[in-house]
Amino acid sequence: MLPSFLQPTSFSPLLANVHSYASELFTESSNLGFLTNSLLVAAVVVGIVLWFAAKATKNMTLIPHKAQNFFEFIVEFLYGQVEGIVGAKIAPRVFPLLATIFIYILVSNWFGLLPGIGTIGWGEGTGFMSVKEVHDPLLRPPTADLNMTFGLSVSMFLVWLYITIREVGVWGFVVHTFGAKGGLKGVMGAMVAVVFLFVGVIEVFSIVFRPVTLSFRLFGNVLAGENVLHTMSGMGGFLGSILAPLPFYFMELLVGLLQAIVFTLLSAVYIQLSTTHDDHGHEEAHH
Amino acid sequence: MDQIKGIAYQIAGDFGLAWGKFFSQVIIFILVYTILKKYAFGPIMGMLEQRRQRIADGEAKLEKIGRDAAEARQTSQAILDKAEADAARLVKEADDAAKAIQERRQQDAVASANTIIAKAREAAQLEQEQLMSQLKREFGRMVSDATSRVTGKVLNTDDQTRINQETSAQVSA
Repeated sequence: MLPSFLQPTSFSPLLANVHSYASELFTESSNLGFLTNSLLVAAVVVGIVLWFAAKATKNMTLIPHKAQNFFEFIVEFLYGQVEGIVGAKIAPRVFPLLATIFIYILVSNWFGLLPGIGTIGWGEGTGFMSVKEVHDPLLRPPTADLNMTFGLSVSMFLVWLYITIREVGVWGFVVHTFGAKGGLKGVMGAMVAVVFLFVGVIEVFSIVFRPVTLSFRLFGNVLAGENVLHTMSGMGGFLGSILAPLPFYFMELLVGLLQAIVFTLLSAVYIQLSTTHDDHGHEEAHH
Repeated sequence: MDQIKGIAYQIAGDFGLAWGKFFSQVIIFILVYTILKKYAFGPIMGMLEQRRQRIADGEAKLEKIGRDAAEARQTSQAILDKAEADAARLVKEADDAAKAIQERRQQDAVASANTIIAKAREAAQLEQEQLMSQLKREFGRMVSDATSRVTGKVLNTDDQTRINQETSAQVSA
């Protein structure tokens, strides 16, 4: 089991530190039990993303202003990447989803690196405004909450299913998954068909577990990064708590970007694999 | 099956998975996706397309301007060639006309000079003749005067006329 401080925390234990009556409003069984510290940060992240998008798309001109130019750069870059993977036909349909996923994950990952996220909260007090270890952090990175990463991957899975069925149809998907490739006839054809049937079953398991692999990969990386930063921050006294985590902050910046790219590109690859009509293999890269 | 279900519940519990939290995260994501799709990606893609179209139009216009410029160059070159030929012809005509005028003027000048020379010669001749006759008269008078003084005789008109004629004849010789 994960340590309690690495799990999303509802506001009940947080408010219990303030007032017992307020705490009762946010217990797990109450209607407000879904409100967690990571959900609060997710809302802040959404606010930041929407604020910047509004700023970038306000008074748009052919000669772009700074925010518009930056947002156009991101959109154009992402569209190029998505189009390169899923093809020009599917790209306009899946681009908004994949771009939202990328931006949302990236901002969430980097927002989690801000000082105070995960380190301000309640714990065993050691002095004025000081705790030995934060048990109930006030804020948590959204991507360090499995509910968020699993929600993203399930949403992605449903969109993948919709696009796949719309593109190749139910029967086309079944044939694509279980059908024998190579066009062999006779006894060899029958043997190959059995093999591909077996491969199809494995493929179905692979597809079903995609949301799990996607969500746990992202969750695990961000959680591990947060854990490393917390551990490093607790080393070597005051100066050590500043210097020790510094290299890891740079690493986590890269990890945050990399995980956003991995999630987005894998989603694009999944869509591409199931919507192409050619006969080549449909294996995928599980990490 | 129950065992798998139990394991799944245990994993979910260990990692803090809960339906309420899960759906609240999904709703937040759907919210940001919907807003970004409608109010951000759509307008931005439209703007990118508009700019692409503008650039394509610009390129097409540039090509047309290039073609027009080439045609204009050809036309202006033709006009220049024609103007050059006309100018050359006009210069040649002017040159010929100038030469003709110069020749005519030269001839006129020569004729005028000849006339002036002839007139001058005539005037000089006349003046010479007048001087000669005056000289003759003066010389005849001086000879008559000298003769009358030498001879002591008053010369009459016939003598004077004869002496003048003889003197004139000798002066003329």
